[in-house]
Amino acid sequence: MAREFDHLFKLLIIGDSGVGKSCLLLRFADNTFSGSYITTIGVDFKIRTLEINGERVKLQIWDTAGQERFRTITSTYYRGTHGVIVVYDVTNGESFANVKRWLHEIEQNCDVVNKVLVGNKNDCPSRKVVVTEDAQRFANQMNIPLFETSAKENINVEEMFLTITKMVLRSKLEMKERQNVSPNDVVNIRKNHNKGRKKCCQ
Amino acid sequence: MPSLRIDQSDLKCKNGCDYFGNPQWQGYCSKCHREQLQRQRRAEKASSTLPKPEQKKPEKSFKVTSHSSFSKFEEKRLRQSETLKKANLLKFSVFKKSSTEDHDHVAEKKQAEFKIPAIVNEGMKRDFRLRFPNLTPHIDRDSRLFAHSFIMDVIKHSNILTVDELSERVQRQYQLFMKHMDTSPHFVNVDSDTKELLIDFVEKHSMKYLHELPSVVFSPTGTDDERLDRVMSERIQQLSWVCETHLECKLDRNSASCRQLLYKAISELLGMDAALSPGGKVARVRRACKHVLALCGAPASADDLLPALIFTVLKANPPRLVSNINFVTRFCNAQRLMTGEGGYYFTNLCCAVQFIENLTSESLNMDKKEFDCYMAMPASIGGSAWAAALSLCGASREAEEQMLQVEKLIAHTKDLKDKADQLANNAETFEKEIAKKVQDVLAKTPLEIKPRRELPRLGSLKTSTSLLVDIDAEKILIEKSLQESTQLGSTESKDNNSAENFAVEIEIPKIKMDNIKNQPATSFQEEIDQNRFTDTPKIQHEPIITFSQTPEEKSPSKSPINPWELKQTNSLELLTPSPLGFTPFDSRSIDELMTPDDFGSDQVPGLSNVNYDIDLSDLSGDNSLAEDTPRDQKDPFSPEPKKLYPFEPRNPFSPILDKFDEFTLIDTKTDQPSDAFEVVHRASSSRDPFSRDINDSFTMEKDGSLLDDSNSPTSTCLLPSPLLPQSSKPN
Repeated sequence: MAREFDHLFKLLIIGDSGVGKSCLLLRFADNTFSGSYITTIGVDFKIRTLEINGERVKLQIWDTAGQERFRTITSTYYRGTHGVIVVYDVTNGESFANVKRWLHEIEQNCDVVNKVLVGNKNDCPSRKVVVTEDAQRFANQMNIPLFETSAKENINVEEMFLTITKMVLRSKLEMKERQNVSPNDVVNIRKNHNKGRKKCCQ
Repeated sequence: MPSLRIDQSDLKCKNGCDYFGNPQWQGYCSKCHREQLQRQRRAEKASSTLPKPEQKKPEKSFKVTSHSSFSKFEEKRLRQSETLKKANLLKFSVFKKSSTEDHDHVAEKKQAEFKIPAIVNEGMKRDFRLRFPNLTPHIDRDSRLFAHSFIMDVIKHSNILTVDELSERVQRQYQLFMKHMDTSPHFVNVDSDTKELLIDFVEKHSMKYLHELPSVVFSPTGTDDERLDRVMSERIQQLSWVCETHLECKLDRNSASCRQLLYKAISELLGMDAALSPGGKVARVRRACKHVLALCGAPASADDLLPALIFTVLKANPPRLVSNINFVTRFCNAQRLMTGEGGYYFTNLCCAVQFIENLTSESLNMDKKEFDCYMAMPASIGGSAWAAALSLCGASREAEEQMLQVEKLIAHTKDLKDKADQLANNAETFEKEIAKKVQDVLAKTPLEIKPRRELPRLGSLKTSTSLLVDIDAEKILIEKSLQESTQLGSTESKDNNSAENFAVEIEIPKIKMDNIKNQPATSFQEEIDQNRFTDTPKIQHEPIITFSQTPEEKSPSKSPINPWELKQTNSLELLTPSPLGFTPFDSRSIDELMTPDDFGSDQVPGLSNVNYDIDLSDLSGDNSLAEDTPRDQKDPFSPEPKKLYPFEPRNPFSPILDKFDEFTLIDTKTDQPSDAFEVVHRASSSRDPFSRDINDSFTMEKDGSLLDDSNSPTSTCLLPSPLLPQSSKPN
């Protein structure tokens, strides 16, 4: 079984139009990172394979349209998504204000999903509108990691993607573990019983 | 208002059972509806007709009148599908024949009332071999088995389950197959990518078949798909005024390349309906989106793609759009739909459709009044610029295609012409070859004829012994010469071969000639032989060729190989004795046939005596025959002499003999009996049958034979013209 990857994750990039979602994607995909494998399919659909803790993770990143009028229709994008990257523009206060709506959107479409908040275009301090502290406070409040990146200067992009990937991977492994703990439960009652006992034991 | 009131009887099941009917069940109660559906299905199973729109319409009102027309329509459709079914059965039976060699019995396993046509199996098998040439037949069988059970399962449950349940079931089936691949030993060496391909493969083939069954998976009964299709189509038509500026997508309507791309994208989108499997549809969508992406310009993002795609959909107005999308979302392998490029673009298409469905003035960033104005406008007015551009595109595209076709045709005709030329050349060469062969054969054939004719002569011999004696003498001489030649060795023959261009036959005679004297190469064996033994260099020519064949064979194989030669000689001998004393001649011939060796020695003395008399007569007859007959009709014989050629020069001894023996045996046999019996009974007429017996080709020679016979007695005088060339040869 020669598989070129151990995990396949689908990531979604959302955010207002013009915050640089596509640029982030381009930067990440075109970055020549050692041991990384890039397939250029389209500008809006990128695949990249990372290696995390010895496990090869294939990332499939879907870009989405951010226009206001498309907001209501993008729900189909969320199907089967493992992680969402919410992007705002640090030079654009409105885009940051809209983050709340985007997060709400995510909640509506996915039960549990890993998220990161990304303030992009963080390369020109003079034009920066969204202060890091505000963003950080908000992120803490929502319990989401925050990254301030610059696709243009290639700042923090790699780290951001690595983080979300690790999060997704961790949650997947946890899920697997949980399934392994109660592997052969055919009946629901049984399962509950087992779980309860495990908890008690712990 | 009475008209608004609904009588309770209207609510009852149309079948008359006491349960209430339901408009969604077409006025039946659930039970009757199911039965009705099943009946319908059964009739439709094999047919590939598209679901008729009428079927879905009834949902609103089911008055009795509409029902009657509906039932009539149903009846018609039933009949139609029945005939279709028959046709399909015919087709399948044809396919089954070709598939008998394989182990498809598994997949052709019969179900209660429905059987999956073998064509599905066949197609899968062929496709499998094409796409997975490296995989084992086990996998092939497994996948086909799975596809079969999959189809059966879907069909079985299509009446019972709602579409969503069915969809779930299908998804479970996919997972089942995936699981099977992970666990089965057959798939141990298959990597995960191939497994995904295999799933696609199974999905493609089973769905392709199911797709053609009306209302099973594609816009299934119980859903609104068809109605929604129409609604969507109408809506798109209404929105034809929407142009690129409304959607804020950067399209350059003046750029030809842009129009081309748009046209391509549209044609791909339109092609989605024609694709049968979900995978095929998704692939179409993907290609369409690629074109749209290219349309958007270089660094296009999703922000650009979606509006452009919406615009494309609006311009394309693909048929049965909703049905297609629902079909894919329900029955495509969910795993692939959620991931992968195709899934991505398909999701975009879904979004585009959703956007169009919900399109309002706000979504176009325009004033509500203006929007309403546009919407109130008749559909034919809007979007004329793009429509014109696109139709131009279509026309140019068509022209291009036609150009391509024409080029292809030209190439094809050229190809054909080349082939025709080649064929002509071949024919020419063939003709030449044939002509050459014929000539060769002609050279040989006269020889064969003459011995037989001489046999008739035997009949005449009775009256005039001299002729018979001649023949005998010749043959005997030949035999002797052959024996001698064999002793002399093949070395001489080689020399002779090199000297002469023509057939082997000629060469062999030369050998003999060499042995005897250094005479001109063209002269034949018999001549030589005769010359040798008789010491009278008389001109006996082509007619001798039959003998020449025998000598050829004789020369390589000293004694046992040439049974026929012996026989011929025997017959000749029989003849030979006749000159001495007529009576013993028949009996001798029969006895001696078997013993070739003896007879050479015995006859030699007798022959020598006879030779002197006969020589002259033979010459005349032979010559005439040889020259006249070959040109006319020796073609049929040609193949046989050809065989002789290659053999003799190379291996004079071994291989030829067999063939010749057959040949010669026949000849000799015919000759011998004919000689003995016919000669006695018939004087002149007997000759004709002989000639026929001898060989097919000899009908022509009959004339010659006749001539010979007549000539033989008065040989020297009668035939001057034929003699001339012959005489020239030896001399």
